[in-house]
Amino acid sequence: MTAQRSLPAGLRLCLWCVAAIVVEIGLYLSYRGHDARFHYVTHLFVGASAAMVIMALVAWRRRRPVAYPLVWPVLGHLVAMFPDFLFSAGIAHYWWMDVFLGHLSTHFVPGRNVTWAVVFLGALGAYLAVLARVDVN
Amino acid sequence: MRAHIPRPDHPGPSWRGLVAVWLVAAAACAVLLGVVQAFRGPADDPDPAYERPGVLDLGMLPAPAPMVTARLPRPGRPAVVFFERPGRLAALCGALPGTELTTSAEVVVVTTGPTAGCGGVPVVADPLARIAKAYGMRIPIDGGPPVGYAVVDRSGLIRYRTLAPELSELYEVSVILGAL
Repeated sequence: MTAQRSLPAGLRLCLWCVAAIVVEIGLYLSYRGHDARFHYVTHLFVGASAAMVIMALVAWRRRRPVAYPLVWPVLGHLVAMFPDFLFSAGIAHYWWMDVFLGHLSTHFVPGRNVTWAVVFLGALGAYLAVLARVDVN
Repeated sequence: MRAHIPRPDHPGPSWRGLVAVWLVAAAACAVLLGVVQAFRGPADDPDPAYERPGVLDLGMLPAPAPMVTARLPRPGRPAVVFFERPGRLAALCGALPGTELTTSAEVVVVTTGPTAGCGGVPVVADPLARIAKAYGMRIPIDGGPPVGYAVVDRSGLIRYRTLAPELSELYEVSVILGAL
Protein backbone atom coordinates (compact mmCIF):
# COMPACT_ATOMS: atom_id res chain seq x y z
CA MET A 1 0.00 0.00 0.00
CA THR A 2 2.79 2.36 0.89
CA ALA A 3 4.60 1.57 -2.32
CA GLN A 4 1.40 2.17 -4.34
CA ARG A 5 0.89 5.54 -2.67
CA SER A 6 4.46 6.62 -3.19
CA LEU A 7 4.54 5.66 -6.85
CA PRO A 8 2.51 8.60 -8.22
CA ALA A 9 4.49 11.04 -6.10
CA GLY A 10 7.67 9.48 -7.37
CA LEU A 11 6.44 9.78 -10.93
CA ARG A 12 5.57 13.44 -10.43
CA LEU A 13 9.00 14.05 -9.02
CA CYS A 14 10.52 12.24 -11.95
CA LEU A 15 8.50 14.18 -14.51
CA TRP A 16 9.45 17.68 -13.42
CA CYS A 17 13.04 16.63 -12.83
CA VAL A 18 13.24 15.15 -16.30
CA ALA A 19 11.50 18.19 -17.77
CA ALA A 20 14.03 20.53 -16.18
CA ILE A 21 16.96 18.43 -17.35
CA VAL A 22 15.56 18.10 -20.87
CA VAL A 23 15.14 21.87 -21.10
CA GLU A 24 18.73 22.38 -19.97
CA ILE A 25 20.02 19.86 -22.51
CA GLY A 26 18.02 21.62 -25.20
CA LEU A 27 19.50 24.97 -24.22
CA TYR A 28 23.00 23.51 -24.24
CA LEU A 29 22.48 22.06 -27.70
CA SER A 30 21.19 25.38 -28.99
CA TYR A 31 24.35 27.15 -27.80
CA ARG A 32 26.56 24.32 -29.05
CA GLY A 33 25.01 24.78 -32.48
CA HIS A 34 26.26 28.35 -32.46
CA ASP A 35 29.63 27.39 -31.00
CA ALA A 36 28.81 29.46 -27.94
CA ARG A 37 29.26 27.04 -25.04
CA PHE A 38 31.13 29.66 -23.02
CA HIS A 39 28.06 31.90 -23.08
CA TYR A 40 25.78 29.01 -22.15
CA VAL A 41 27.83 28.24 -19.05
CA THR A 42 27.98 31.86 -17.90
CA HIS A 43 24.23 32.31 -18.09
CA LEU A 44 23.59 28.92 -16.51
CA PHE A 45 25.79 29.65 -13.49
CA VAL A 46 24.52 33.20 -13.07
CA GLY A 47 20.86 32.26 -13.44
CA ALA A 48 21.18 29.24 -11.19
CA SER A 49 23.05 31.28 -8.56
CA ALA A 50 20.31 33.89 -8.48
CA ALA A 51 17.73 31.12 -8.21
CA MET A 52 19.61 29.50 -5.34
CA VAL A 53 19.70 32.74 -3.37
CA ILE A 54 15.96 33.23 -3.86
CA MET A 55 15.31 29.58 -3.00
CA ALA A 56 17.32 29.93 0.21
CA LEU A 57 15.37 33.03 1.22
CA VAL A 58 12.01 31.43 0.43
CA ALA A 59 12.92 28.21 2.24
CA TRP A 60 14.17 30.13 5.24
CA ARG A 61 11.01 32.22 5.43
CA ARG A 62 8.61 29.32 4.92
CA ARG A 63 10.72 26.97 6.99
CA ARG A 64 10.46 24.25 4.40
CA PRO A 65 12.22 23.42 1.12
CA VAL A 66 10.91 25.04 -2.05
CA ALA A 67 8.84 22.95 -4.41
CA TYR A 68 10.37 21.77 -7.69
CA PRO A 69 13.94 22.78 -6.79
CA LEU A 70 15.35 21.87 -10.21
CA VAL A 71 12.89 24.13 -12.01
CA TRP A 72 14.05 27.32 -10.26
CA PRO A 73 17.62 27.24 -11.67
CA VAL A 74 16.24 26.57 -15.14
CA LEU A 75 13.98 29.61 -14.85
CA GLY A 76 16.92 31.68 -13.63
CA HIS A 77 18.91 30.48 -16.62
CA LEU A 78 16.12 31.46 -19.01
CA VAL A 79 16.03 34.96 -17.54
CA ALA A 80 19.81 35.34 -17.79
CA MET A 81 19.91 34.19 -21.41
CA PHE A 82 16.81 36.04 -22.58
CA PRO A 83 18.78 38.54 -24.75
CA ASP A 84 20.10 35.57 -26.70
CA PHE A 85 16.54 34.72 -27.69
CA LEU A 86 16.26 38.32 -28.93
CA PHE A 87 19.54 37.93 -30.82
CA SER A 88 18.16 34.87 -32.58
CA ALA A 89 15.23 37.06 -33.58
CA GLY A 90 17.58 39.60 -35.14
CA ILE A 91 18.03 42.03 -32.23
CA ALA A 92 21.65 42.67 -31.28
CA HIS A 93 22.79 43.04 -27.70
CA TYR A 94 22.72 46.43 -25.96
CA TRP A 95 24.21 47.29 -22.59
CA TRP A 96 20.78 47.86 -21.05
CA MET A 97 20.27 44.13 -21.46
CA ASP A 98 22.38 43.74 -18.33
CA VAL A 99 19.02 43.98 -16.55
CA PHE A 100 18.73 40.30 -17.42
CA LEU A 101 21.03 39.17 -14.61
CA GLY A 102 24.00 40.97 -16.11
CA HIS A 103 23.72 39.28 -19.48
CA LEU A 104 26.73 41.12 -20.93
CA SER A 105 28.81 42.23 -17.96
CA THR A 106 28.89 38.80 -16.34
CA HIS A 107 31.11 37.51 -19.16
CA PHE A 108 33.87 39.89 -18.15
CA VAL A 109 34.32 39.19 -14.43
CA PRO A 110 37.86 38.15 -13.48
CA GLY A 111 38.19 34.39 -13.64
CA ARG A 112 35.33 34.22 -16.15
CA ASN A 113 33.22 31.07 -15.79
CA VAL A 114 35.36 29.57 -13.03
CA THR A 115 34.36 32.52 -10.87
CA TRP A 116 30.69 31.93 -11.63
CA ALA A 117 31.05 28.23 -10.87
CA VAL A 118 32.40 29.16 -7.43
CA VAL A 119 29.56 31.65 -6.93
CA PHE A 120 27.02 29.01 -7.91
CA LEU A 121 28.49 26.41 -5.57
CA GLY A 122 28.46 28.97 -2.77
CA ALA A 123 24.82 29.80 -3.43
CA LEU A 124 23.95 26.12 -3.60
CA GLY A 125 25.76 25.59 -0.32
CA ALA A 126 23.73 28.39 1.25
CA TYR A 127 20.48 26.79 0.10
CA LEU A 128 21.54 23.38 1.38
CA ALA A 129 22.55 24.92 4.70
CA VAL A 130 19.05 26.41 4.99
CA LEU A 131 17.55 23.00 4.20
CA ALA A 132 19.52 21.54 7.07
CA ARG A 133 17.77 24.00 9.40
CA VAL A 134 14.15 23.58 8.29
CA ASP A 135 11.59 20.83 8.36
CA VAL A 136 11.23 18.67 5.30
CA ASN A 137 7.50 18.12 5.89
CA MET B 1 15.86 31.66 15.79
CA ARG B 2 13.98 28.46 16.48
CA ALA B 3 16.22 25.44 16.79
CA HIS B 4 15.36 22.68 14.39
CA ILE B 5 14.27 19.42 16.00
CA PRO B 6 13.49 16.78 13.40
CA ARG B 7 10.43 14.74 14.08
CA PRO B 8 11.20 11.02 14.33
CA ASP B 9 8.64 10.13 11.63
CA HIS B 10 9.81 12.89 9.27
CA PRO B 11 13.53 13.29 9.75
CA GLY B 12 15.12 16.30 8.08
CA PRO B 13 17.80 15.95 5.46
CA SER B 14 21.05 14.64 6.81
CA TRP B 15 24.23 16.65 6.51
CA ARG B 16 25.76 13.71 4.73
CA GLY B 17 23.03 13.80 2.07
CA LEU B 18 23.32 17.55 1.61
CA VAL B 19 27.09 17.36 1.29
CA ALA B 20 26.66 14.59 -1.27
CA VAL B 21 24.33 16.84 -3.30
CA TRP B 22 26.87 19.65 -3.17
CA LEU B 23 29.73 17.36 -4.21
CA VAL B 24 27.72 16.03 -7.17
CA ALA B 25 26.98 19.61 -8.23
CA ALA B 26 30.65 20.54 -7.90
CA ALA B 27 31.63 17.57 -10.06
CA ALA B 28 29.02 18.55 -12.66
CA CYS B 29 30.39 22.10 -12.72
CA ALA B 30 33.91 20.79 -13.26
CA VAL B 31 32.74 18.56 -16.11
CA LEU B 32 30.86 21.43 -17.72
CA LEU B 33 33.87 23.74 -17.55
CA GLY B 34 36.02 20.95 -18.95
CA VAL B 35 33.65 20.38 -21.86
CA VAL B 36 33.69 24.08 -22.76
CA GLN B 37 37.48 24.11 -22.63
CA ALA B 38 37.80 20.93 -24.69
CA PHE B 39 35.75 22.32 -27.56
CA ARG B 40 37.82 25.47 -28.00
CA GLY B 41 39.63 25.52 -31.31
CA PRO B 42 43.01 26.94 -32.35
CA ALA B 43 41.41 29.94 -34.10
CA ASP B 44 39.31 30.88 -31.07
CA ASP B 45 40.01 33.88 -28.89
CA PRO B 46 42.21 33.11 -25.86
CA ASP B 47 39.64 35.05 -23.84
CA PRO B 48 36.23 33.74 -24.90
CA ALA B 49 34.50 36.75 -23.38
CA TYR B 50 35.72 38.80 -26.33
CA GLU B 51 34.62 36.30 -28.97
CA ARG B 52 31.31 37.22 -30.61
CA PRO B 53 30.03 39.36 -27.71
CA GLY B 54 27.10 40.54 -29.81
CA VAL B 55 27.27 44.16 -28.62
CA LEU B 56 28.61 47.26 -30.37
CA ASP B 57 31.34 49.52 -29.01
CA LEU B 58 32.99 47.05 -26.69
CA GLY B 59 36.27 48.03 -25.06
CA MET B 60 38.19 50.68 -27.02
CA LEU B 61 35.55 51.00 -29.74
CA PRO B 62 34.46 52.97 -31.66
CA ALA B 63 37.73 53.70 -33.42
CA PRO B 64 38.60 55.04 -36.87
CA ALA B 65 38.73 52.30 -39.50
CA PRO B 66 41.93 52.16 -41.60
CA MET B 67 41.52 51.89 -45.35
CA VAL B 68 41.67 48.34 -46.63
CA THR B 69 41.66 49.26 -50.30
CA ALA B 70 41.81 52.61 -52.05
CA ARG B 71 38.02 52.94 -51.77
CA LEU B 72 37.02 50.72 -48.84
CA PRO B 73 35.61 51.46 -46.39
CA ARG B 74 33.90 54.46 -47.93
CA PRO B 75 31.85 57.14 -46.19
CA GLY B 76 28.09 56.83 -46.20
CA ARG B 77 27.95 53.06 -46.36
CA PRO B 78 28.68 50.43 -43.71
CA ALA B 79 31.38 47.89 -44.38
CA VAL B 80 32.30 44.42 -43.19
CA VAL B 81 35.96 43.46 -43.28
CA PHE B 82 36.47 39.72 -43.07
CA PHE B 83 39.82 38.31 -41.99
CA GLU B 84 40.38 34.80 -43.26
CA ARG B 85 43.21 32.32 -43.60
CA PRO B 86 44.12 31.11 -47.10
CA GLY B 87 43.03 27.51 -46.59
CA ARG B 88 39.55 28.60 -45.55
CA LEU B 89 39.04 31.31 -48.15
CA ALA B 90 37.06 29.16 -50.56
CA ALA B 91 34.49 28.30 -47.90
CA LEU B 92 33.95 31.95 -46.96
CA CYS B 93 33.72 33.04 -50.58
CA GLY B 94 31.24 30.26 -51.21
CA ALA B 95 29.05 31.34 -48.33
CA LEU B 96 29.04 35.13 -48.85
CA PRO B 97 26.98 35.35 -52.06
CA GLY B 98 24.07 33.62 -50.36
CA THR B 99 23.75 36.27 -47.68
CA GLU B 100 22.27 39.75 -47.65
CA LEU B 101 25.61 41.15 -46.50
CA THR B 102 26.82 41.99 -49.97
CA THR B 103 23.75 44.15 -50.62
CA SER B 104 23.50 45.89 -47.25
CA ALA B 105 27.18 46.73 -46.83
CA GLU B 106 30.51 46.94 -48.56
CA VAL B 107 32.27 43.64 -48.03
CA VAL B 108 35.97 42.98 -48.35
CA VAL B 109 38.01 39.92 -47.48
CA VAL B 110 41.55 40.18 -46.13
CA THR B 111 43.74 37.11 -46.25
CA THR B 112 47.36 36.36 -45.45
CA GLY B 113 47.83 34.17 -48.51
CA PRO B 114 47.50 34.68 -52.25
CA THR B 115 44.27 36.25 -53.38
CA ALA B 116 41.73 34.52 -55.58
CA GLY B 117 38.30 35.25 -56.95
CA CYS B 118 35.60 35.59 -54.35
CA GLY B 119 32.36 35.92 -56.28
CA GLY B 120 32.67 39.64 -56.81
CA VAL B 121 33.85 40.40 -53.29
CA PRO B 122 37.24 42.13 -53.29
CA VAL B 123 40.06 40.16 -51.71
CA VAL B 124 43.13 41.85 -50.30
CA ALA B 125 46.43 40.11 -49.61
CA ASP B 126 47.92 40.97 -46.23
CA PRO B 127 50.81 38.51 -45.73
CA LEU B 128 52.02 40.11 -42.49
CA ALA B 129 48.54 40.63 -41.06
CA ARG B 130 49.15 44.36 -40.80
CA ILE B 131 45.58 45.24 -41.67
CA ALA B 132 44.29 42.89 -38.98
CA LYS B 133 46.59 44.56 -36.49
CA ALA B 134 45.49 48.01 -37.61
CA TYR B 135 41.89 46.94 -37.01
CA GLY B 136 42.79 45.75 -33.53
CA MET B 137 41.87 42.14 -34.20
CA ARG B 138 42.82 39.85 -31.35
CA ILE B 139 45.38 37.06 -31.77
CA PRO B 140 43.87 33.55 -31.77
CA ILE B 141 44.95 30.74 -29.48
CA ASP B 142 47.37 29.31 -32.04
CA GLY B 143 49.08 32.66 -32.56
CA GLY B 144 48.25 32.71 -36.27
CA PRO B 145 46.45 35.39 -38.23
CA PRO B 146 42.97 36.26 -36.97
CA VAL B 147 39.87 34.65 -38.41
CA GLY B 148 36.94 36.96 -37.87
CA TYR B 149 35.49 40.24 -38.96
CA ALA B 150 35.13 43.91 -38.20
CA VAL B 151 32.04 46.02 -38.83
CA VAL B 152 32.48 49.66 -39.86
CA ASP B 153 29.64 52.16 -39.72
CA ARG B 154 28.71 54.88 -42.23
CA SER B 155 31.00 57.35 -40.45
CA GLY B 156 34.04 55.15 -40.97
CA LEU B 157 34.26 53.98 -37.37
CA ILE B 158 34.92 50.41 -36.29
CA ARG B 159 31.94 49.52 -34.11
CA TYR B 160 32.44 45.79 -33.74
CA ARG B 161 35.29 43.32 -34.12
CA THR B 162 35.58 39.70 -33.16
CA LEU B 163 37.26 36.46 -33.93
CA ALA B 164 34.71 34.13 -35.47
CA PRO B 165 36.11 30.82 -36.68
CA GLU B 166 32.70 29.41 -37.60
CA LEU B 167 31.39 30.35 -41.02
CA SER B 168 27.93 29.30 -39.97
CA GLU B 169 27.67 32.49 -37.94
CA LEU B 170 27.34 34.88 -40.91
CA TYR B 171 23.80 35.51 -39.67
CA GLU B 172 25.33 37.27 -36.69
CA VAL B 173 27.10 39.72 -39.00
CA SER B 174 23.74 40.77 -40.40
CA VAL B 175 22.35 41.26 -36.89
CA ILE B 176 25.30 43.47 -35.97
CA LEU B 177 24.90 45.47 -39.17
CA GLY B 178 21.27 45.98 -38.27
CA ALA B 179 22.29 47.50 -34.95
CA LEU B 180 24.42 50.25 -36.50
